[in-house]
Amino acid sequence: MQRRMFLKMAATLVGAFGVTGLPLPVQAALKRLDPRTIPKLIYLQGLSCSGCSISLLQSTSTSPLEMITDYSQLVFHTDLSATSGQQAMALIDDYINGNAGDYFLALEGSIPAAMPEACIIGHRPIADIIAQAAKTMSGAVAVGTCACDGGIPAAEGNPTGAVGLAEFLATKKINKPLIQIPGCSVHPDWLWQTIVHLVRVGMPELVNGAPKLFFQRTVHEQCPRYHDFQQEIYAKKLGDKGCLFKLGCLGPVARGDCPTRGWNGGQTWCIDCNAPCIACTSPSFARQKSQPFYRLTELNSQESSR
Amino acid sequence: MRIEIGPVTRIEGHLNVLTTIEDNTIVEAKCVGEMFRGFEMILKGRDPLDAQQITQRICGVCPYAHAIASSYAQEQAYGLQPPANGRILHNLIQGANHLYDYLLHFYQLAALDFVDITAVLKYQGKDASLVKVREWVKAELASGKKYPAAPFLPRQDGRYLEDTEANISAIKNYLEAMEMQIIGNQAAAIFGGKFPHATAIFPGGCTQEARIDLIAAYRSKIKKVRNFIHEKYLGDILAVAGAFPDYWQIGVSPGNMLSYGMLPLGPAPDSDRLMAGGVLMGNQMTPVDFDAITQDVGHSKYSSASGQSVRHSAITPAPHKKAGYSWIKAPRYHDQVMEVGPAARVLVDYHQSHNPQIRQLVDHFAGQAGIKPAQLNSVLGRHLSRGICAVVIADFLLAETERLEPGAPTMAELNIPAEAEGFGATEASRGALLHYLRLEDHKIATYECVVPTTWNSSPQDDQGRPGAMESALVGTKVADPQQQIEANRIIRSFDPCMACSVH
Repeated sequence: MQRRMFLKMAATLVGAFGVTGLPLPVQAALKRLDPRTIPKLIYLQGLSCSGCSISLLQSTSTSPLEMITDYSQLVFHTDLSATSGQQAMALIDDYINGNAGDYFLALEGSIPAAMPEACIIGHRPIADIIAQAAKTMSGAVAVGTCACDGGIPAAEGNPTGAVGLAEFLATKKINKPLIQIPGCSVHPDWLWQTIVHLVRVGMPELVNGAPKLFFQRTVHEQCPRYHDFQQEIYAKKLGDKGCLFKLGCLGPVARGDCPTRGWNGGQTWCIDCNAPCIACTSPSFARQKSQPFYRLTELNSQESSR
Repeated sequence: MRIEIGPVTRIEGHLNVLTTIEDNTIVEAKCVGEMFRGFEMILKGRDPLDAQQITQRICGVCPYAHAIASSYAQEQAYGLQPPANGRILHNLIQGANHLYDYLLHFYQLAALDFVDITAVLKYQGKDASLVKVREWVKAELASGKKYPAAPFLPRQDGRYLEDTEANISAIKNYLEAMEMQIIGNQAAAIFGGKFPHATAIFPGGCTQEARIDLIAAYRSKIKKVRNFIHEKYLGDILAVAGAFPDYWQIGVSPGNMLSYGMLPLGPAPDSDRLMAGGVLMGNQMTPVDFDAITQDVGHSKYSSASGQSVRHSAITPAPHKKAGYSWIKAPRYHDQVMEVGPAARVLVDYHQSHNPQIRQLVDHFAGQAGIKPAQLNSVLGRHLSRGICAVVIADFLLAETERLEPGAPTMAELNIPAEAEGFGATEASRGALLHYLRLEDHKIATYECVVPTTWNSSPQDDQGRPGAMESALVGTKVADPQQQIEANRIIRSFDPCMACSVH
């Protein structure tokens, strides 16, 4: 990515999520940016549950107040925007038609490629809106597993042909900067700290399109119960302590730093609650009917055959 | 004159509303659910224990309610009863989720229809957060940007609160509510694993322990939220009510109310609940009968049979169906249009004189506002009902933590039969939530969710009768037919969740 493009992207994202909390030299540099020229962020939802939007509101690494007062570049978000109806649609159109300056697209949710009528905003299929935006946007962030890989709307048996943003852009032969941040829901830090990385050292190194900083290693590799795994101390039933692998824990195929980062202020996460990881960051999350989240039935039959 | 007021923002998801206006009055309204994923088709053929995970992804705003409803349905199917601790942890997780949701709804979603955000420019005091907002708005307005102070501007034209003090207080509380909703969710995540989308909720209980340090942390967070509810939230609802008293008469649905009740007081499936369920038609109360629910699709985008019962539901999407104007189905109870949600929850309990605290709060606030309890069926009534639910639930959660037995089991052992069926009913923050599943050969053969906004934002049924929200809009005077801030206030009073309604 060119430096100019990078700076634009960084400025957009920082504008959206706030300056406070960044290193002082970076804050100072950002303050020199002319607010009239900082590109804007348009946050749209496809086949989504709003869980990622709600998760972003749970951020504690920047306070909600900072998110509001330093949110000036979030020109549209359906859950927060005061505007509504035709006025809102006119604003979105203004940007995606290239009449309101540079902007980045943030997409939550997947795109119903086989049934465009399954997601409509203001009479227009989300697929058409994104195809139009792709011509004018500086780049895009895929927020959450649905936007990255299709997620549950793309699970086996789905009627809409849901796909993620990368696949959608590829089929339209559109090549624009894209950062993918998976998770069902996304962890607020994964998005926020990606922005910090962008500002300090540039485009983050990506693993399968996602920031390596968070997604290089699997949950299993970093799991505080790795010792239990090595010692073969396995949970036998739900609610047990020990390694949850035999209950179906998908930590070995899930990339993410949940074990060290924690959720909701860092105080908790799935395995800490004795709940097997369901690999919500994985491209194959929930994809196959034949691959359930848990293996309780299997374990029971092993027990009874002993 | 036909005018569309979608896409409606500050709700969950994709909603359009087609209105017909005559003499500045809405004479017809059609609610259009514009997003479809096909959850029931995705669930069919899966392992049943996937359900409490997958159904949470129906809605990232109220995922815990779906996990609870799915767990109840599976418990009935498996003949499973959680240990006392397990049920209490279910309650602690679900109840905290309600508290966050009420605050997020009132402040972040609904308040901007009433509160004048630009009043912050007149702020003279020294509160750091308000000074920061004031300076930010000033700088934005002076920046020469095409859309300054987004996402708070532009906004719809209309009359906003005129009292500067009241506006500034509400803006301050808007900011504080952002922090309170985080704290409420942190409390729930202590036992749920994370929010959104809990992994620790299962049929038969919760995998997290009832540990004394966790209980103490939970209590501390709920106390903070409870204080905010008493000190700020209730006052702000009453301030809006005082400035917009017309809205006790605006946004009235046909008045049939359905609630399943919520927060069971014990582990047994037939335990009494903190708030009682029931069906209120006129002044007639009856117990809920799931077999009385049918779903019409004459005006919905499905080619499958209309009028199916919950047990025999199946959908075939038909995106090009001419008569179908919405992806939402039209559920009816004994063929009647029902409203669900906070007003239904409160009125159904009130009419049974079930929970004395609800009775006392309704009488107190109705007296203060000079309304009859039946007027909870209105824009302001729905807001006030959420406030009442918040008070009752917060007190209950603190008492419930005292009933936990630290160290005792929180999960029952699971034995899943090959063939079974079960209903699970609870209250999501937006209203009555029903899950049904039937197993064949250890797999899900049928999964059906009848969700709060499916009731409230229902399209017309096969007899052409509009849904609760469609009816509530009809007759409303609108000053500006193009923008219709009045209609927007009615829609948001229902707190529609479109992802839930269609799923």
